[in-house]
Amino acid sequence: MLDAEARVRGEVAYAVDLELPDMLVAAVLRSPIPHGRIVELEASEAISLPGVVAVLTAADFDRPGGPSLLYGAIIPDQPVVAKDRVRYVGEPVAVVAAVDHAAAQAALAAIQVEYEEEPATYDPLQAMNSGAPAIHADHPDNLFVHGKLRHGDVDRGFGEADEVIEETYTSPLAQQASLEPHTAVARWQADRLTIWTGAQAPYTVRGALQRIFGVQPEDVRVIVPPLGGGFGGKGHVRIEPLVAAVARKTGGRPVKLSLSRAEEFATVTKHPVVIKIKTGFRRDGSLTARQVTLYWGGGAYADASPGLIRASVPRAVGPYRISAVQVDAFGVYTNLPPSAAYRGAMSSQTTWAYESHMDSIAARLGIDPLEFRERNMLHSGESFCTGETMHDVHFSECLRAAAAGLGWDRPKTRDSGRLCRGRGLAVMMKSTIPRSVSECRLALDADGVLTLYTSTVEMGQGAHTALAQIASEAVGVELEKVRIVGPDTAVTPYDATTSASRSTSMMGGAILDAAERLKDRLREAAAPIVEVEPTALVIAGGEIYDPASAEDRLSYAETLERSDLKSIEVAGKHSSQGGLDPETGQGVATPHWHQGAGACEVEVDIETGKVRVLRYHSASFAGRVVNPSLARLQNDGNVIFGMGPALLEEMAFDQGQPVNPNLSDYMLPSILDAPEELGSELLESEAAEFHGIGEMTLPPVAPAIANAVFDAVGVRIRDLPITSERVLRAIKEGPSG
Amino acid sequence: MSAEFTRPESIEAAVEALGEAGDEGKLIAGGTALALMLRQRLIAPAVLISLDGIQRLTGVSSSADDIRIGAMTRLRQVEASPEVRRAIPALAAACGEVGNVRVRNQATLGGNLAEADYASDPPTVLLALDASVRAVSPAGERQIRLSDFFQGFYTTALGSGEILTEILIPRRPGTRRTAYAKYRSRSSEDRPCVGVAAVAAFEDGVCSELGVAVGAACETPRRIADVEALAVGQPLGESVIRDIAEGYADGIETLEDLRGSSWYRTEMIRVFVRRALEEVASVGR
Repeated sequence: MLDAEARVRGEVAYAVDLELPDMLVAAVLRSPIPHGRIVELEASEAISLPGVVAVLTAADFDRPGGPSLLYGAIIPDQPVVAKDRVRYVGEPVAVVAAVDHAAAQAALAAIQVEYEEEPATYDPLQAMNSGAPAIHADHPDNLFVHGKLRHGDVDRGFGEADEVIEETYTSPLAQQASLEPHTAVARWQADRLTIWTGAQAPYTVRGALQRIFGVQPEDVRVIVPPLGGGFGGKGHVRIEPLVAAVARKTGGRPVKLSLSRAEEFATVTKHPVVIKIKTGFRRDGSLTARQVTLYWGGGAYADASPGLIRASVPRAVGPYRISAVQVDAFGVYTNLPPSAAYRGAMSSQTTWAYESHMDSIAARLGIDPLEFRERNMLHSGESFCTGETMHDVHFSECLRAAAAGLGWDRPKTRDSGRLCRGRGLAVMMKSTIPRSVSECRLALDADGVLTLYTSTVEMGQGAHTALAQIASEAVGVELEKVRIVGPDTAVTPYDATTSASRSTSMMGGAILDAAERLKDRLREAAAPIVEVEPTALVIAGGEIYDPASAEDRLSYAETLERSDLKSIEVAGKHSSQGGLDPETGQGVATPHWHQGAGACEVEVDIETGKVRVLRYHSASFAGRVVNPSLARLQNDGNVIFGMGPALLEEMAFDQGQPVNPNLSDYMLPSILDAPEELGSELLESEAAEFHGIGEMTLPPVAPAIANAVFDAVGVRIRDLPITSERVLRAIKEGPSG
Repeated sequence: MSAEFTRPESIEAAVEALGEAGDEGKLIAGGTALALMLRQRLIAPAVLISLDGIQRLTGVSSSADDIRIGAMTRLRQVEASPEVRRAIPALAAACGEVGNVRVRNQATLGGNLAEADYASDPPTVLLALDASVRAVSPAGERQIRLSDFFQGFYTTALGSGEILTEILIPRRPGTRRTAYAKYRSRSSEDRPCVGVAAVAAFEDGVCSELGVAVGAACETPRRIADVEALAVGQPLGESVIRDIAEGYADGIETLEDLRGSSWYRTEMIRVFVRRALEEVASVGR
């Protein structure tokens, strides 16, 4: 990693480290109730307190020349601060800016709010029932999106089956739990806003702020320092409107807002879901039909959920050949914090269901789980239930690589007394974003330094390192001579987002495009010097030459100098195509499929139900590996990360009140929980494009572990996380089918 | 909002500072628990009195009658103390299982007891060992048996002006075996779902004395004398162990939290009382 040493030394400056002259701190007054009316809000005392510079409430919005209250990625349903109604515990009601934290806290305490509590609803299935309280007046059934896929005749498919299995799987609310909390600093100079924020999609933030404040795009400048983790939780607009709106009232003094851990838990969560999955199959192991119905809890505001829930539709089926498929994905409002992408977005939840379900079918048929999957696996050239033809898919190779790493064909390790061992595996497919664009600029100067201008966000995943390597190799400049600038929307060009494991592929593609243009410009510059046509010139190893006289070579620096150029700057672009019909789910789900697999051996203590993962082997398809050590760390990191939602992580609520909004009560895996044997493979193929690798080995973790638990003790766990208590209860209830 | 911070260098000065601050004062030992409470705004003292500057409060000493551990001795120091490891290995083990090494290097044994968090390890072992604490106040010094010390969630017998200065663990004649079985239902750095300490003395293979304490299962660590007595006068065999495990499972009204339901805790008491007793029995044989 390029800045590895700075990271180890603690020298990387995050948004939270930013200090500006005259900077104020913001604090947020939050709703103490899950649902109800704001009867009265009195903030006049707060503004008169010493050290308090600004107090922001809903009264500051929707006035002539003022900002708009409502925003949202797709449905503008979310107020910057609550107006007449609060919809979850922790929803912002007012924001203060003060000279220090003590003054800010005193101001919050001085704001009087009277609430009238109303009935609330928390579970997506219950929220859809008639009689459940409506959270938004214009959505009486609390339903905000219904994604669909229709392929073949499922009724006929179930009719043709020898047997049908139907199961229900659940995955709870969880939290992205980045080490660095959401932090943003906003400063207004005249009518222009500069905001430094830990955000994964700087241009999305810019667009939202521009709309809220009614200014031109160039009047909002978004600068993104390195992030201390994102994992999807910083993928859309989060705290930026709060801090920008209060900063507009400080007479130009900058304001910083940095959330506490408890506020993190009230700001963004992983979607909870109930998944009903039903599959018809024949005795030979072939699949005749699959129906999947998903009830996604979106929390109080839709945020990016409509798009994510639509994207969950093709991710709900699995990489299998099934002649008839029907998927319905419902997005439901609840009185909980808004949900958003969580590393392996939506696929983690769907893979939990379909890969556990696949083992239930394999067990019923008495076929080895690997063999059963192999019989149904999709290969390149075959058609998926979206109607698209699969290309460059290696699900089978990924799964076999993981299984081989574990030693699937070797005899099982024997149980010893109360400790029972079992093995399990799982494979997943995930779409990335169709119809998205990444742009960049490359500048080569006369000193031989190559500068990459990019809005791709470095959040610890090593994106800037990988992009610098791609630029270095494509242009033929040593890695040490590559500099990266950005993201800064005033300087670096558009990029849709750093998420969905798209950066290496999409921004990498833009860099390759720019590199070709840069080399064209170099050939044009060199042509008059060498006195041949530009097209006759060859560029290799950082040098330009005419193959007819290959001993005469020009370096880039020499070429620029002799052409009297200080630098050459070019732009590059890469875009993806596709999209699905909203009624049928037919079309192209993704420019390429993300592919990953895992296989593990676990040990279950039958007296306690505690599951220990002894060995884990993962594999992902990388297309082309850019940086082998970082790529391997992504695979391994995903496995350890994935053990959290598999075994430990769940946000607990009591009547909408968070019970464990801190990292002492909310359990993340410790490094001591990591399997002692952790293996990983990165598959490549000839002339393949770059594939993202940031999430691929995560979704298989939970089902692989659950399948291994089933193998060990014969019980099927269908609710995440796989807690010791759940396993013990299931053992005491007896073997399940 | 922000508290005044003082760092007295003698116990007398600390007692005086605490007396002056009254209800507005809080003692800070290692600070690992207190800092979390401050951050979560569960407490808001006006004065923080650090015990860090009082040399006398740190260290392990031993006499023919007892082992004494200063209240400010870090858990890591207790874990590593040759004296503790030799005489009461279960206490060293329990201190070595708290949180992670960063916490153990900072947290103190006295602070751990005074906090009286139900989900904790050292109190369970110390209760099984019949330990006492010494406390100092303007009224003088007194010794409190741990069985009287823990009174409920985060509640101890310490008076508002009283400072815990030392932990005393009595020595017993004969061979004594100790074990601590910590069960974490969640991550490897979690607090205990249940913790069981067993202390047994044997004479010619016959159990002459048994102490069993169960921690993290209810408000305070618990011993049940009637059940302990089942073992006395006979070898610690399979059926006695089972009876004692049942006795504890039946005798403790367990609480429910994110580490497990009441039902689950009762099950785990049965399992881990047995495992702790099996450990002292196998060592004792």
